[in-house]
Amino acid sequence: MATFNKTGGQQQLKAAMQQSELCTNCGACVDLCPYNVAFNDRIVFLDPCDRDEGRCYAFCPRTPTDLSALYDGLFDAADLTPELGAVKGLYVTRAADPAIRDKAQHGGTVSALMALALKEGMIDSAVLAEDSGELEPRGTVVADADQVASHAGSKFVVSPTVAAFNRLAKGEAQAIGVVATPCQAMALAKMRLKPYAADASHIDKLKLVVGLFCGWALSLQKLAGILEPHLKGSEILKLDIPPSGHACMEVTTEQGMITIPLEEINPAIRPACSGCLDMTAEFADLSVGSARLDGGWEESQGWNQVLVRTEAGQKLMDLAKDAGALEFREAPAGAMDKLKQASMNKKRRALEHLAAQSGSEDDLIYLDPSDPLVIKLKQSWAAQ
Amino acid sequence: MSILSIDDPGKQLLYMGNEAIARGAIESGVRVCAAYPGNPSSEIIASLAKVGKELGIYVEWSVNEKVALEVAAGASFAGIRSLCAMKHNGLNVAVDFLYNLNLTGTGAGMVVVVADDPLALSSSNEQDTRHYARMGDLPLLEPGTFQEGKDMVKTAFEMSEELGIPVMLRSVTRFSHARGNVTLGDIPRGQNKPFFDVTKPRLPKPVEKTHKLLHEKLATAGQKFEDLPFNLYQGPDKPELLILTCGTGWYYTKEALHHLKATDRVGIAKVGTSWPLPAKFITEQLAKSQRVLFVEEIDPFLESNVKTFYAQNAAELGPKEFLGKVTGNVADMGENTPDNVMAAIAGCLDDCVVPARDQEHAAQAAEASKRLATTRALGLCAGCPHRATYWAVKNALALDGRGGFVVGDIGCYAQGRGPSGFQQMKTMHAMGSGAGVANGFGQLTRFGMDQPVLAVCGDSTFFHAAIPALTNARYNGSNLLMLVLDNSATAMTGFQPHPGTGRTAMGDTAPVVDVTKVCQSLGAEVIVLDPFDVQKTTETIYDLLQKQDGIKILVLKQVCAMVRTRMGKRLYKVHVDESKCLGEACGCNKYCSRVFKCPGLTFDKTTGKAGIDEAICNGCGVCASLCPESAIIKEAL
Amino acid sequence: MNAVANDPFNVIITGVGGQGNVLASQIIGQVLVQAGKFVTIGETYGVTQRGGSVMSHLRISDLDQWSPLIPEGHAHLIVGLEPIETLRVMAGYGNPDTLVLTNLRPIMPLDVIAGTATYPEVSEVLAELQRLSQKVWTLNATEIALDMGDPIFSNMIMIGAIAGLGLPSVDIDPAVFGSVLEVVLSRGKAATNLEAFEKGRNAVEELHQ
Repeated sequence: MATFNKTGGQQQLKAAMQQSELCTNCGACVDLCPYNVAFNDRIVFLDPCDRDEGRCYAFCPRTPTDLSALYDGLFDAADLTPELGAVKGLYVTRAADPAIRDKAQHGGTVSALMALALKEGMIDSAVLAEDSGELEPRGTVVADADQVASHAGSKFVVSPTVAAFNRLAKGEAQAIGVVATPCQAMALAKMRLKPYAADASHIDKLKLVVGLFCGWALSLQKLAGILEPHLKGSEILKLDIPPSGHACMEVTTEQGMITIPLEEINPAIRPACSGCLDMTAEFADLSVGSARLDGGWEESQGWNQVLVRTEAGQKLMDLAKDAGALEFREAPAGAMDKLKQASMNKKRRALEHLAAQSGSEDDLIYLDPSDPLVIKLKQSWAAQ
Repeated sequence: MSILSIDDPGKQLLYMGNEAIARGAIESGVRVCAAYPGNPSSEIIASLAKVGKELGIYVEWSVNEKVALEVAAGASFAGIRSLCAMKHNGLNVAVDFLYNLNLTGTGAGMVVVVADDPLALSSSNEQDTRHYARMGDLPLLEPGTFQEGKDMVKTAFEMSEELGIPVMLRSVTRFSHARGNVTLGDIPRGQNKPFFDVTKPRLPKPVEKTHKLLHEKLATAGQKFEDLPFNLYQGPDKPELLILTCGTGWYYTKEALHHLKATDRVGIAKVGTSWPLPAKFITEQLAKSQRVLFVEEIDPFLESNVKTFYAQNAAELGPKEFLGKVTGNVADMGENTPDNVMAAIAGCLDDCVVPARDQEHAAQAAEASKRLATTRALGLCAGCPHRATYWAVKNALALDGRGGFVVGDIGCYAQGRGPSGFQQMKTMHAMGSGAGVANGFGQLTRFGMDQPVLAVCGDSTFFHAAIPALTNARYNGSNLLMLVLDNSATAMTGFQPHPGTGRTAMGDTAPVVDVTKVCQSLGAEVIVLDPFDVQKTTETIYDLLQKQDGIKILVLKQVCAMVRTRMGKRLYKVHVDESKCLGEACGCNKYCSRVFKCPGLTFDKTTGKAGIDEAICNGCGVCASLCPESAIIKEAL
Repeated sequence: MNAVANDPFNVIITGVGGQGNVLASQIIGQVLVQAGKFVTIGETYGVTQRGGSVMSHLRISDLDQWSPLIPEGHAHLIVGLEPIETLRVMAGYGNPDTLVLTNLRPIMPLDVIAGTATYPEVSEVLAELQRLSQKVWTLNATEIALDMGDPIFSNMIMIGAIAGLGLPSVDIDPAVFGSVLEVVLSRGKAATNLEAFEKGRNAVEELHQ
């Protein structure tokens, strides 16, 4: 199979992002060098680099990407599914520690897993999105298991956390874990294929990627503008988006919770998200989202569903069970099918969007239309 | 010791044109000299300042040319001979006073020296000062030889004292900065006590009386000019072509005729008293030939005025053919050279050819030079604080993302418009114009302008012209960020002191007029930083740009690299640890030499490593703070 | 006292702004005026000091005061403080009989440092100078100056080198040179600069290729 990869440097990256508007602010192109910085919810190219190939272009999840090579390089062929990527198993879990669950978005599984990984020495540093009263998250590094929980909570805004990994990898840390959105997980996956030999020792420090399910992410600037009149000066304690049927965003402040119709929030969605095929963070070691339980949102809110994808992910999951860091319950019947359907919907919308944007079915901007995976996806829709 | 104070009448020395002028003032008993630095005039006052104490002369750098002229006038009113010197732009600043002074009259001799810069070799513009003399009804002399540079000043003092008006002397770069033989005269030692006669107040009105009087004085000057040796003729009695020239044209035309072997065909009439025209002399010269070629810099001043004179006397003078700038025989702007004067003359004569260079040699040399002699662009010196400032500005504006820009003016920091200053400066005009123009931009948010504006000025420019603009911004609420680049020097013109440096022209300690305190007195927000701390400077500029509340001032205080080196106070010794240097590899790509572009940095293509050129580096250490691999090491000295 | 050959004898001292060509030309000129010559020197400085190409034109004559600019192609001697500047001036003002004295140490133009232009091999520059001139002398004035402790001495070393050429039209009397130094330089600096002058006088070598 022909490889679809192109090489390029900063100028090609800049041109590609300007033309396609697919930049997700993942931060993969930042902190590899002094030329690019992440600031105020965007990537700023401070100075021009004239190299015709570089890591920023190679690691970006939205430059031409050979999907098949990524899956083949990182996962067991036997585990691969067309709908959800590699799946070793599906679990429904929540953090055993109520203190973690209190701070968490839903079940607190991500916090519990990262804290455990730190405690057990699987990693010595965890890269998380920082939580604060403000909307703007920054990738933050935690070396102490007890600090993990304080950074819990979904942000709905992609912060450039991969930049934090880039910084960490140059320093003293030897084993790094990252909590990543699907686009960030793909960037880390591209790194893991080690296209640059000089970087190999840095990449080898990446031991664990915990992915987050993601429908779309929001632009910080636009979201802040939309929320401002509703907040009337009070601080945000929590943001949440219940399952699609509810069609709203829940904003919790000291005054209580208000719901804002999704159609008001939609203008804040990053244009880049329309081109994303990945709902379940397929390039992680394991991926975590909110559960879908029979008792509806009330019940589901407190639990997570987890897809384990790699040996490292399985190891951590087993550890969590043995150490009692997570509580488990049975996944409801049809949970996997529901997940697959939701994921396929996103993939379909994304491919349609990419073709519409380029004006041609044969130009999927950053994906190869001749990739067997892409062809298989299209065939499965045609069959329906 | 200085060659200017040598008391040895009759001795011949090599003097710079400006030194000849200064020596002329000394030999005229001048006692008060004032100026603002400006190329090509700076050496006049600088050289006088060196010998001021020795010779009992007061010499000062004033904050601007208007004040300098006023200082000289005050001395003159009190019976003390005074000199004021400036470059052409300076006269633009001083002329409001000059055009009142011509009406109020002067006391003791007062000479105003203005040095023009044809082709703007060291200026923002070129302009011909002689028009000011005509407009202001003031006598003006133009030296054609180095000796005249001295002798004309003495004549000017005498004439000024006799007539009671200032007399102007006009120079150009190729005279002021050139050197030639000058024979010394006496240095007078008499002293009179200054006294201002209050029964004779200096008032410019009523103009019916004063302007009329000025015209009479000018006419008297014209008569006196006829007897001066500065107007002379050299050549055949009846030349085929008469050249009327002045200033640098004298040497150029003499040399041109020598190379053209046309000294028997062409005569040169040198006019040394350019305004008012010496009528008798002009009449005599015009009578010599029917064809006249004018050679002068910059404008057709002599050309147009002689033609006007001719128009009034046409019947007497008969038909003439006038050739010059107006007819296209000589370039209508820029400077003259022996080569273009040769071409102009040959173009006016039959059978006269400019002796050609060896064409083959010239072609070979041109080809070799084009191939091998890499272009040498101007830029900021190694270690210049302005490089660090513009680096911080570039980054802050990129992060801000609203298309902000910098407006500025003249000085070393004007390099901000070029690659050395990362092309940040987008407008440049006169002294202090950056702050002024920013005032305009800063009032446009009400109409929807969303680009933030920054202004830059130097410390000397701050005192010269920026304070009124900053006051205006504070008073009228213009939204701008002012960067005052305080490097403790008037650097561009030769590191002269100014009110902020604590030293006077004559080397005495002076109270420091603190830039920061003056800014604070406006009531604006003022922050002071060291631009070498580029991180902090970038963050501060960014933060200040977010504010919409009127004028903010950031004083970036760091000594000029050249001044620092002269003081022997380099900050760091800098070298590159090659084991850490990434060179062209991804992650760096020659960030220091290619992007920061300091001339103290080198990149060796064979080793692929950066390096420090110890002959150029001035040890500021900024590159060390920028290197992503910490491969550049700075050791404090 | 020697008569000036090819009257006026035209010398161009060239280099990069800040190298000291102005001081060098001034000192040489002063020495020659003391010897009874007419000397005119033309300079361009100011803005060009900031790293640009600079020239001093010297006209030495027994007959008259000449213009401060030498006509194109009329240089008799080109003295370069920097190799490509020497070549640049040769293109503007040289002819087949021109004599050349050049320093060997390059000063990188800004574009070369930034990587957008290249600096030629000095040997190539010297080969061209040799082809285009009557004779070429060289020395590494900057190296000698660095050995003395400061690159600024290179211009004084070059004056010494000019003296070392032994040209009758540019006769630099060391005693007069010393007294001129006393006047022109700050107190106490004359001695080291005289030393630099002597080193230059002895270091100049004719180029044989």
